[in-house]
Amino acid sequence: MTPPSAAETEQPLAPLWRGLLVYRVLTLVSAAAVALYSLDAYAMPAGAVAVLAMMVAWTVATGYGYLGGLPGVRDRRGHVAIADVVITVGVMATTPLVQTPAQFAGDAPVMGSIWTPGAALACALAYGVRGGLAGALALSGALLAFQAHWRAEVGDIQLLLLVGVTIGFASTVLRRSAERLRHAVASEAGMRERERLARAVHDGVLQVLGYVRRRGAELGGAAAELGVLAGEQEFALRTLLTTGAAPVDVHGRRDLAAALRMLASEHVSVSTPAQRVELPAHVVDELVAVAGAALANVAEHVGPDAPAWVLLEDTKDGVEISVRDEGPGIPDGRLATAEAEGRLGVARSMRGRVHDLGGTISCDTGPGRGTDWTISVPKREVVA
Amino acid sequence: MTEELDEITVMVVDDHPIWREGVARDLTERGLSVVATAPDAEAAVRIALATRPRVVLMDLHLGATSGVRAIEGMLEKLPGTRILVLSASGEHTDVLEAVKAGATGYLLKSAGADELLAAVRRTADGFPVFTPGLAGLVLGEYRRLASEPEGADGAAPVLTERETEVLRLVAKGLTARQIGERLVLSHRTVESHVQNTLRKLQLHNRVQLVRYAIEQGLTDG
Repeated sequence: MTPPSAAETEQPLAPLWRGLLVYRVLTLVSAAAVALYSLDAYAMPAGAVAVLAMMVAWTVATGYGYLGGLPGVRDRRGHVAIADVVITVGVMATTPLVQTPAQFAGDAPVMGSIWTPGAALACALAYGVRGGLAGALALSGALLAFQAHWRAEVGDIQLLLLVGVTIGFASTVLRRSAERLRHAVASEAGMRERERLARAVHDGVLQVLGYVRRRGAELGGAAAELGVLAGEQEFALRTLLTTGAAPVDVHGRRDLAAALRMLASEHVSVSTPAQRVELPAHVVDELVAVAGAALANVAEHVGPDAPAWVLLEDTKDGVEISVRDEGPGIPDGRLATAEAEGRLGVARSMRGRVHDLGGTISCDTGPGRGTDWTISVPKREVVA
Repeated sequence: MTEELDEITVMVVDDHPIWREGVARDLTERGLSVVATAPDAEAAVRIALATRPRVVLMDLHLGATSGVRAIEGMLEKLPGTRILVLSASGEHTDVLEAVKAGATGYLLKSAGADELLAAVRRTADGFPVFTPGLAGLVLGEYRRLASEPEGADGAAPVLTERETEVLRLVAKGLTARQIGERLVLSHRTVESHVQNTLRKLQLHNRVQLVRYAIEQGLTDG
């Protein structure tokens, strides 16, 4: 996939604005041609020509505005669109003045005729659905005010409203997707930057920290303490650089493997597949919390330095997480007792969370065997 | 340790001089013969050809060229060489690629000097060195291959039920001895199951590479 161009993300509506200009120029030519052809029929031919000249001038002026203005000038397309509606209504308002009563009563086209909806389209592009609707309503009001028979205008009004809302909706959707695209590009750039940093830091800081830890352990005494401190920092920095915070993507999904790897420490080993294991972000949060609770339980009941192992498997239909320790095991019935007594324990918080996700949790434990939690969550229910 | 009949010769490949020399010194102090060191992938292949070490202890992070290419290059010319990857945590994709390319072991850089020594010895004797993390990666790779619709091209490697069971227990942190006790197997049998999981993956990788090369040759020619 080629990266999106700046125009695609910064000016998502540019093609629509250009389209609007083409529409304006074509309708201007057509409206002018029709008016000039029947110029003799007007009560005030000179007035009609003046109005046409006004329309030409205004089309040129808005042309500049809608193309983004002169280079270096701030984008004021929203204001131009509002002015456009006002001017267009003004053009329509000249109808009773320049037309003969016969023309007026005979439902000759309003001044500006098919050139006028352009203003509503501009509002729709600038302000979305609401702008399109407001512009269309303003022009519809003018139609009713400056035409003799309101019944004849119902069809035009329907069309105006329809076009205003549709184009407004299109502009909102385009703007939103451009925003998403920009977000995705930014987050990708962030990830690349982190990789670059990781490479740079790897070559220096991490290696030296690793070396201090190694030598410290060998030298013993006060050096050993320094070594341990260096080791902790090395681990923390490495995890930060290689894993990051497992960001949530635009679809609200998150990589469970990366999130679980954040739980790793000197005593906790986390095994995952190499590829991403994507699930909805809230499911990932819950599963990480459950695994974290199991690990906290190990630290509490076996010891803060007790080793523990986390394994994540991505089966076709679901994910399975196992959290194992080599402690004395949980005595028979203790979990059940705690649950029965209504104490907020491991059991309740872990079981509850997993059941809410439509999954199951089981515990293999016994004297001398340690404790092995297995958490399974189906993918289908997770998606719902 | 008493003298070995045949000396274990080792080459250390790492782009960082402090680390490279530190590891080389540790191993020499403990009775191994470090015959060479190399700072990058190209030098590694060249020097390996000249010195023919039994074990190559290498980082995958070697500046511009990847360590995986170096592993392929060395094993192509010296198929008997054993490769032990000594790498940072979190480089899981690279580690998996290295293992598929023929490395038979993986150890974290945070491992202690004695752990490292034991791992080099095991590697020299032809045994795989698995961390739980590596077992998780290999297990995940088999699952990925199984779920990929490959059709006629097919022949993705499959683990036997026993191999899957063993690999899962390795990933959960059990030692070969503990696994043997639990499954009522000798720990040698456990080792050979683990070895098989690697061998099948490497074979599949080679077949894929050859197939790719042939396809490229056909379309280019």
